[in-house]
Amino acid sequence: MELRKENKVLKYVLVTISFIFLGVFLILPLIYIVITALKDGIAGYVNAVSDEYAIKAALLTIKATVFAVIVNTIFGISAAWLITKYAFKGKKILSTFIDLPVTVSPIIAGLIYVLTFGRQSSLYPILDSYGIQIIFAVPGIVLATIFVTFPFISRELIPVLTAQGSDEEEAAALMGAGTAKIFRKVTFPHIKWALLYGIVLCTARAMGEFGAVSVLSGHLRGKTNTLPLYIELLYQGYDFTGAFAASSILVVLAIVVLILRLVIEKRGQKELDLNK
Amino acid sequence: MAYVELHDINKHFKKFHASKDINISIEKGKLVALLGPSGSGKTTILRMIAGLEQPDSGEIIIDGKVVNNVPGSERGIGFVFQNYALFRYMTVYDNIAFGLRVKKVPEDKIKERVTELLTLINCEGLEKRYPSQLSGGQKQRVAFARALAPNPQILLLDEPFAAIDAKVRLELRTWLRQMITKLNITSIFVTHDQDEAIEVADEIIVTNQGKVEQSGSPQELYKYPATPFVAQFIGNSVEVNNYDEFKHFDRKANSSVAYIRPEFVSVFKKGESVQFANSAEEAVVEDIIFRGSNIEIKARIHGNLLSAIRSINDNEIKVGEVVDLFIYRIYVVEDDHVILATNNSLVDETIVI
Repeated sequence: MELRKENKVLKYVLVTISFIFLGVFLILPLIYIVITALKDGIAGYVNAVSDEYAIKAALLTIKATVFAVIVNTIFGISAAWLITKYAFKGKKILSTFIDLPVTVSPIIAGLIYVLTFGRQSSLYPILDSYGIQIIFAVPGIVLATIFVTFPFISRELIPVLTAQGSDEEEAAALMGAGTAKIFRKVTFPHIKWALLYGIVLCTARAMGEFGAVSVLSGHLRGKTNTLPLYIELLYQGYDFTGAFAASSILVVLAIVVLILRLVIEKRGQKELDLNK
Repeated sequence: MAYVELHDINKHFKKFHASKDINISIEKGKLVALLGPSGSGKTTILRMIAGLEQPDSGEIIIDGKVVNNVPGSERGIGFVFQNYALFRYMTVYDNIAFGLRVKKVPEDKIKERVTELLTLINCEGLEKRYPSQLSGGQKQRVAFARALAPNPQILLLDEPFAAIDAKVRLELRTWLRQMITKLNITSIFVTHDQDEAIEVADEIIVTNQGKVEQSGSPQELYKYPATPFVAQFIGNSVEVNNYDEFKHFDRKANSSVAYIRPEFVSVFKKGESVQFANSAEEAVVEDIIFRGSNIEIKARIHGNLLSAIRSINDNEIKVGEVVDLFIYRIYVVEDDHVILATNNSLVDETIVI
């Protein structure tokens, strides 16, 4: 009885700590964003959100995110497939390097690309002769976004593929199914939920990326400013209403992603239970 | 005539020599077991026949044709995986139909064939279930049906009973044997369980350390083990190093090891045996294991702990009791072959039993 009572006290202490923490660090700032965004009234908010540059920034963010998600989905599936289904030299190195973007500071990631593709690089004249501009242009932003998000999808897929083994694929191959059919009918249904979850995480991270993109963008308003960069710009210019209004777009997108994540996790779990 | 043949097959996995000069010949319609301890290379042989592994050298011949460069899917084989490898996101029906759909068989023909197979494996009404909703025995039978659906000439089974509990395993063994006999399909299965191999197979190929030790009918293998490994592996043999100390057994040249099986040993209570009164030796009982239908007695003699089987109708023997022990036969290892040595008292009439 004593133990149970103690546990109950502990439970409420933990609940209180968690909620205070969430409140101070998450809810309060979110409320503050909404209040500040609406400080100049609804009209001010609408004005700020429908500002030409705000829309351009939002579109660029979506563009970079879509590119990053597509590239990383292809790369993530290939890398996860390679690492789990084949034995080859350098496998350990590859799987370690995939995690690099998580451990490296985004600023450094940005600088790496500036050094690789910037004016001082020996690649620059070649790219320049073809009229390709990467640094301080949209390709650079896409590149930076891809870099910081590339482990997300493969990291979700590798554990699932490892657990599955390759028997089912071998069975299908022995019955004459080709690689495409095996992937479509056997492998894909298995990794579906993990893949979606990875895509959601990748999207969330890509939308919010600031550091690497900041280095590579050059901050050209309406050209190379993504939403997070645009917000910073407004903030530095003491336009709090604009900054917080733009932030609210990102917050809404983040909440959508969060809900998607919840749904996917639930459905995936359900199917997992069914297929134990 | 041989239907499946392996000629001088060698296979390495990195530095590990998994198959050493494998020569196998399997007749059409036979049910053959590849028997050996784990790591002996039996699964590698099966996977090479299926085309899931490529040999480094040697030829694989099916129905008179060298198939080394023919993909597994065109070798006319059906494969049952150890853990069935049923497609878990497909229903039983779709699992069985998969191979036929790949071959672009018309849907009505597929339906006919799947229904026929479901009847064959006694799983009518399960076609809409997913593999996770099946029992171990049902999964096994569905895997069997899936492998058979495209009408293969050869059926390969990797440890088909390993993942099933003991009681169902016995039923399935009998069932599989009947099925294969009925369908008259050349079948090769891998097992590490000698009882399974002896009971199910027409012919057994014993593998050890990447080599084929011996192949033959279960009776042949049991009676005439050709190599020391087979003598030791088949039956519950006890290894004995001083067999010449036993009464009425002589030391053979170039040999020091012998194997004694429980069925070659009789244990009697003192004074119980009239027949072997003079030629039996005394042993001390150390352990008694009740096996339900019989009793295993472990008795020490000349420093060796030998096993013998007694009927539950015999007089009870207790641990620590001194008993009379008579050995009929032993397998004596001489160089790399095995000789069956019979108790001299049974052969030589001058010895009084």
